[in-house]
Amino acid sequence: MTDRVKEAFAEHAPGALAILLLLGAWQWTVQSGRVQFDYLPSPSAILLALWAVTLSGDLLKDTVHTLQATLLGWLIVCVIGITLGAALGYSKTLRNYTLASIELARPLPGVAFVPVALLLFGFSMRTELLVIAIPSLWPILINTMGGVLAIHPRLFDVARMLRFSRVQVFRKILIPAALPSIVVGCRLSLGLALVMAIIAEIVGNPEGLGYAVVREQQAMAPDRMFAYVFAIGILGVVFNAVLQALSRRFVPNPSLAQR
Amino acid sequence: MATRHLFAGLAWARGLLPLVLLLALWQLVFARSSIHFPPPLAWWDSLVAMQKSGLLGEATLATLGSVLSGFLLASACGLAGGLLIGVSRTARRILGPLLEFFRALPPPVIVPVLILWLGYAESLKLLVVVSAAIWPVLLNVSAAITRTEPLLLDVAKSFRLSRAKTIWKIQIPASLPEFFLGMRVALPLAVVVTLLVEILTSLPGIGSLMTQAQRNYQSAQLFGLLVVVGLLGFIISAAFTLIEKGVVGRWQPRH
Repeated sequence: MTDRVKEAFAEHAPGALAILLLLGAWQWTVQSGRVQFDYLPSPSAILLALWAVTLSGDLLKDTVHTLQATLLGWLIVCVIGITLGAALGYSKTLRNYTLASIELARPLPGVAFVPVALLLFGFSMRTELLVIAIPSLWPILINTMGGVLAIHPRLFDVARMLRFSRVQVFRKILIPAALPSIVVGCRLSLGLALVMAIIAEIVGNPEGLGYAVVREQQAMAPDRMFAYVFAIGILGVVFNAVLQALSRRFVPNPSLAQR
Repeated sequence: MATRHLFAGLAWARGLLPLVLLLALWQLVFARSSIHFPPPLAWWDSLVAMQKSGLLGEATLATLGSVLSGFLLASACGLAGGLLIGVSRTARRILGPLLEFFRALPPPVIVPVLILWLGYAESLKLLVVVSAAIWPVLLNVSAAITRTEPLLLDVAKSFRLSRAKTIWKIQIPASLPEFFLGMRVALPLAVVVTLLVEILTSLPGIGSLMTQAQRNYQSAQLFGLLVVVGLLGFIISAAFTLIEKGVVGRWQPRH
């Protein structure tokens, strides 16, 4: 037990110390006025600003908006992506007649849709959802397709023997057997959806955490801007951790059904 | 051989059917005067007009230059940082938590911060692209180096290679595939961030042309530019695949 504590200490102490030292040096540099730099607030000022936006409820409101947009866009994309991906993995004909189009459409960078979405929907939630949905569709679609393609052919023989209908094949064979790759795809997409939500808020929809950063930048309030940047970073760390925990929970046996 | 390639090309091309149908339908259904969905031929006309005025070529070059220089710089810095962190356990322990934070920070958030610091300068573009695209390379390289096949390290030991030689002759080549994997993730990121900076700051480039088109309701221009961006992304990624095959192929284990 004590050995494990010691080990954990040796593992984590240097990193924690590095962060503390960095923060200390930063605080000292700014406070002592050695560097004349108007837009670099000290860590303590950032912390105070973070406290202020937490108390005023702004942080909560902005976070809720960003999370809502991210999750809503992600859910839409999950439904579309899993359905299309499974169909594409299942049918060779469908693959033959669509794959090249997908290959051409996929490298289109998501940001490029911001002006298009703005033209169509103006500064609104729909703009944000469109910007989230288009790029985050691909990981789910591709991973689902790959997962279905990797299913052992014998499982389909079993389905035929049991005289499964198409719907049953979908529900009882395709989806469960491809689940590990689907979960991976969903995880990648959710991470991407958060990034795209923030991009959409920075450029398009004036709400949420992304807009908050721009708002404070334009208000020349660097301490609050950094507070929001910090909050977004923490949100990202939490998101990653939750996603990893969830995907471990939802993929019970690592790809037994795959070849 | 040639006919086989031809057939393979044709087999691939039939997959373009949905895209072609969509564009054809679009052309037929919407009138040229449509504000939101101008037909594809109108996109072409406005692209030609922009090319004649010299706007398009200039913007494409600016965007391409920023994407490539940012990407190359990020790859080089990512490789160097990844090597340092991969090789040294101490460096990994010291920098680990900081890296974790920066990796989780969505790259576009850095843009407003740097705008505040640097103003709308050309150097801003490069800095933002590098600071966003460096992470996948750095993390992939450091992970690959910590996972170097132990047998290879034993070989280094029995040949009594110095530390520097072990790194140069064994660990770098062994992590090459992962390095390219990281670059493959970094490349589209460089495109995205370049466009984002251009959209936000109106620094010259395709992104700012798109914003202008959107503000002036020049929707045909906008859709045309979207196609240009798509083609640019496609060409860059295809070129990268070719280079990757050439370089990584040389180091692949031969069985």
